[in-house]
Amino acid sequence: MKKMMKIASMVAALGMVLSGVAFSAESIKVGQLADLTGPTGDVGKPYAEGVQAYKEYVNAHGGINGKKIDMQMFDYAYNKDKAINQYKKYKEDKVVAIEGWGTGDTEALTGFVSADKIPYISASYSAHLTDPKKAPYNFFAAADYTTALRAGLQYLKESWKEKRAPKIVFIYPNVPYGISPIKGGREYAKELGFDVLSDENVDLKAIEANSQLLSVKNKGADFAWIGGTTNSTAVILKDAKKLGLKTKFFSNIWGIDESTPKLAGGAEEGALVMAGSVRYGDNVPGMKLLTSVQKTPQVTHYIRGWVSMMVLVEALKRADKATGGKITGPAVKDALETFRDFDTGGLAPGKITYTATDHRPFMSVNIMEFQKGKLVIKKTVTLPRKAEWLGL
Amino acid sequence: MQYCGDFRTTYEKDVKIFETPFVKICMGFLGVALLALPFLVKGEYLWILMQIVIAVIGAVGLNILTGFTGQISLGQGAFLGVGAYTSAFITAKMGLPFWVGVPAAGCVTALAGMIFGIPSLRLKGLYLAIATLASQFILEWVFLRWEPVTGGSYGIVVPRPSLGGYVFDSDRSYFYIVLVIAAVMVLFATNLMRTRTGRAFMAVRDHYISAEIMGINIFKYRILSFAVSSFYAGVAGALYGHSLRFVSSEQFGISVSIVYLAMIIIGGLGSILGSIYGAVFMILLPKLLTVVTTQLGTSFPGIAEVAIALEQGVFGGIIVLFLIFEPDGLAHRWKMIKAYWKLYPFSY
Repeated sequence: MKKMMKIASMVAALGMVLSGVAFSAESIKVGQLADLTGPTGDVGKPYAEGVQAYKEYVNAHGGINGKKIDMQMFDYAYNKDKAINQYKKYKEDKVVAIEGWGTGDTEALTGFVSADKIPYISASYSAHLTDPKKAPYNFFAAADYTTALRAGLQYLKESWKEKRAPKIVFIYPNVPYGISPIKGGREYAKELGFDVLSDENVDLKAIEANSQLLSVKNKGADFAWIGGTTNSTAVILKDAKKLGLKTKFFSNIWGIDESTPKLAGGAEEGALVMAGSVRYGDNVPGMKLLTSVQKTPQVTHYIRGWVSMMVLVEALKRADKATGGKITGPAVKDALETFRDFDTGGLAPGKITYTATDHRPFMSVNIMEFQKGKLVIKKTVTLPRKAEWLGL
Repeated sequence: MQYCGDFRTTYEKDVKIFETPFVKICMGFLGVALLALPFLVKGEYLWILMQIVIAVIGAVGLNILTGFTGQISLGQGAFLGVGAYTSAFITAKMGLPFWVGVPAAGCVTALAGMIFGIPSLRLKGLYLAIATLASQFILEWVFLRWEPVTGGSYGIVVPRPSLGGYVFDSDRSYFYIVLVIAAVMVLFATNLMRTRTGRAFMAVRDHYISAEIMGINIFKYRILSFAVSSFYAGVAGALYGHSLRFVSSEQFGISVSIVYLAMIIIGGLGSILGSIYGAVFMILLPKLLTVVTTQLGTSFPGIAEVAIALEQGVFGGIIVLFLIFEPDGLAHRWKMIKAYWKLYPFSY
């Protein structure tokens, strides 16, 4: 047994060395920080797999103008310190870009990536990351949290038939992720003529939300926005059903996905989510490739990971051409900022545009609703690209 | 070389920090090694080294409060945050230099510490621990909600220090600043414990009624202890913020407070050296575990996920085992090792 282990580990080591040699000839180094086993692993894993799957596909089909992408996934388990340590390693390895994940670590790294000039594509969609004045090297490929909230508000206002002003309440956890879109959202809700009620806080780890929802019931809110993640959102929906609330719930991008019916047990019926992609198997041009690579159905987060890597691959291709094969971080950033209506094959709700003064990819959001346990796309809402909304 | 037993014949010898020439030489070597290290290690390891040095400052501060004065504090993380935000506000929003920001951070945090230390007049032990825990929650809430000053949920981007046109932009150059500040502060703390004030701290810790009967103003020294400890936390927090170039509320949660408490308990309560050992241990251990688990994961892909998931459990387990088998901390163990060699082979 010992001998076999020895042989196995030697073979593994040899394999690693060989693959290293094979890569070092012509490859582009890219970093990836993912949460597979940490507290956000349930959504982090499909996202990271989407990123990796598109990379594998590109490497198998010509790579970046003939060069392979060398991108190893690092599981930082949502631990900010681990993320920073790994980032330092990536910097040492001279990566030209990084695919990232959560809010805490993306924000902690914002100062670094702009000082070190390494483009960083995150899955944290905080609006302030779209302002190049504050975060020149941060990018992402979905509508930011505040834009998504505004789109949801607009959709609800359009579907409001009664004469009186609709009442709305914001339910969110007391963490940066929950708070960041509130200011912009409240302002826009007032602008649209909503009657904005006082906020409610429900923790990300909450196992019940009765007192908060009783308060929502007493206030008589017509709509409630939820800024949590899937677990806390399911708790809110369940308790709302138990208390017999008539309120219509709509959630942020991480609040509701295909796993919600399992968590909420029927209470999700009629709840809305402002999604940043289509669903697996939808009839859009880009889906053909995705379904041919990934045969088993996936959640929307997987598709967003795929799209995020799509954006990076396109930027690497452009940067490679522009620099004659000597890709650098700033070259990738410049390449990203040449994106004008870049088409993801309909996987994302809009076409992607980045400029040197505006890193908002698009202003569109797919509003989805739960009908009989299935997510149904109700409408794609597109907002104007207003300058005063940048970073707010 | 020192023979078995201490032969101190004057009071001067009794209060020496470095007792023998051998220790002085060792300290010299350590100093040179610390100065040379940034040229030997880089990237990730240099960053970890810097985090250790910053943690030493915070741990020494907490040890002054908890180890020397006997006031348990669960708010060290938030006090680090006060320092980080103060320096961030002064440097990034007011445009003043780093050299103003860091001392100011220390002073503001000392003030905050004194305010939250007021309950220590009436509370002690577990009650005080909960009162300081409250300070953790109150301050975290302030970080997140006082938007004009703290940037709210968006945080503040802060610059690295500069001196006459030279910007300490690289981790290497910044490390030296941190190292010098840490060395000065550790030396100050060591000396403080040998003064009248330091003795008063220990008297309050050992038996506060006796201390009071001896004429020590307990309230004054408790508050003073909070002030000094928070000053250290503030400076450590400010240095941390500038090292990261970004300050946000998520960096100063309750877990940070707990890690600092673990540092001084594992290192050794009531020992400056212990704070250093504890900081080194607590920062290095997770990193070591990561190296081991990723190595396991790459060599044996089958257990990769389990190995990574095990990490947290192993981390907790090691700390528990430590507390059972080494309750007096690493500083005590080091003393025992020294004594063993000093007395060898006649250990009686």
